[in-house]
Amino acid sequence: MDSPTPVIQIENLAYAYGRTEAVHDLSLKVQPGRCYGLFGRNGAGKTTTMKCLLNLLRPQRGQVRVFGLDPAQAEVAVKGRLAYVPDQVVFYPWMSVRETLDYLASFRKRWNRKTERELLERFRLDPAQRTDGLSKGQRTQVALIAAICPETDLLVLDEPTSGLDPIVRREFIETVIGAYQEGNPGNRTIFVSTHLITEFEGLIDEFTIIDRGRVVVTFDSDHARERYQKIRARFAQSPPELDLKAAVRVRREGRELELIVNGAGPELLKRLRQHNPESLTTESLTLEEIFFATLQS
Amino acid sequence: MIFQINFKSGMPIYLQLVDQIKAAAASGALRPGEALPSIRPLAEELRVNRNTIAKAYSELEGLGVIETLPGRGCFLIENHSGLRKEVRRKLLIEEIDRAVVQAHHLQVPGPEFLELIHERMQVLDAKRRANEDHKED
Repeated sequence: MDSPTPVIQIENLAYAYGRTEAVHDLSLKVQPGRCYGLFGRNGAGKTTTMKCLLNLLRPQRGQVRVFGLDPAQAEVAVKGRLAYVPDQVVFYPWMSVRETLDYLASFRKRWNRKTERELLERFRLDPAQRTDGLSKGQRTQVALIAAICPETDLLVLDEPTSGLDPIVRREFIETVIGAYQEGNPGNRTIFVSTHLITEFEGLIDEFTIIDRGRVVVTFDSDHARERYQKIRARFAQSPPELDLKAAVRVRREGRELELIVNGAGPELLKRLRQHNPESLTTESLTLEEIFFATLQS
Repeated sequence: MIFQINFKSGMPIYLQLVDQIKAAAASGALRPGEALPSIRPLAEELRVNRNTIAKAYSELEGLGVIETLPGRGCFLIENHSGLRKEVRRKLLIEEIDRAVVQAHHLQVPGPEFLELIHERMQVLDAKRRANEDHKED
């Protein structure tokens, strides 16, 4: 069976600002209908990667394909099928919310007026308000409306919720899940870069963690939560000397042992059980804890 | 019905939903013919991907627990298991084996384990009866 064309395919991408290398040999692939997270600390290369996808920067090495097309060669075809919410939203200050949405709609083949009305109401936005009077949260909301109404196949979100208050953040995510994924959910693809991982936890199907421009790991979320576990064991006496090299991290505290494992859980659990611990528990790491574990090891 | 998602359980999210719906059906908290929440509001509420909910529902449909009526939603089916008896037994044996292994590691002896099973079945029965009584009110 032929696999479908990936919505995003990045191969060996490299980009440097002068001598500072922002992205080094980065590869990843996003299949249609997936919600894909790009996680990294500030300055890890997330925004540079996003800009290469959007043809705001030209890759210096490697290649980038969106819908199988080169964004530099087929800019109109690519941009017609995607919508983008940047971390810093800028509008013409003299336009009202209404005029801004009409202006942005004029570049689009489709524009769902019903969705637009519902979202304006949901966010309690006044269409007559000038955009220079909007708060940061409201600006992001207008940008999100403008990204959802064209009903594109791909939604690119670059640090969309940083700097927003918790309620706006929650509404943002609910809107992405509800309004964006509504039509044809199997084909609506989301590519989101963020360091606020917890709030996207349930939405992310698959993710790549990057650090200093390089891929650290790529995982399916369910699979990652299965592999990465925290094991706690408490013994009657001080913990036995055990071979725990397979663990990512080991903490000893009195009679207790705490291990972070990546895939070696079953083997280490067996070894711990042989020493009859008083208690032995395991829990999965959340995506955010996995992020910490991979960047600290 | 109200769901609880636990990202730390190590169990895929869609399977957590499947298990909770099966448990609700077994206890009578969800009755045959009753509708499951529709995908969009549930996804928004739990803040999980819609595809995750859709996957859970299609799994339940495959197991013969629910049926989808086009344009109307998903509903719990009466006497739902369409699987043959030996298949049902085999599925149950896998679960029992898991619990038996766990009992061994937690140093719960056989008789106590069996007693616990009786106790848990009584708890479930009591829940069912409570849910039935409510229905008749």
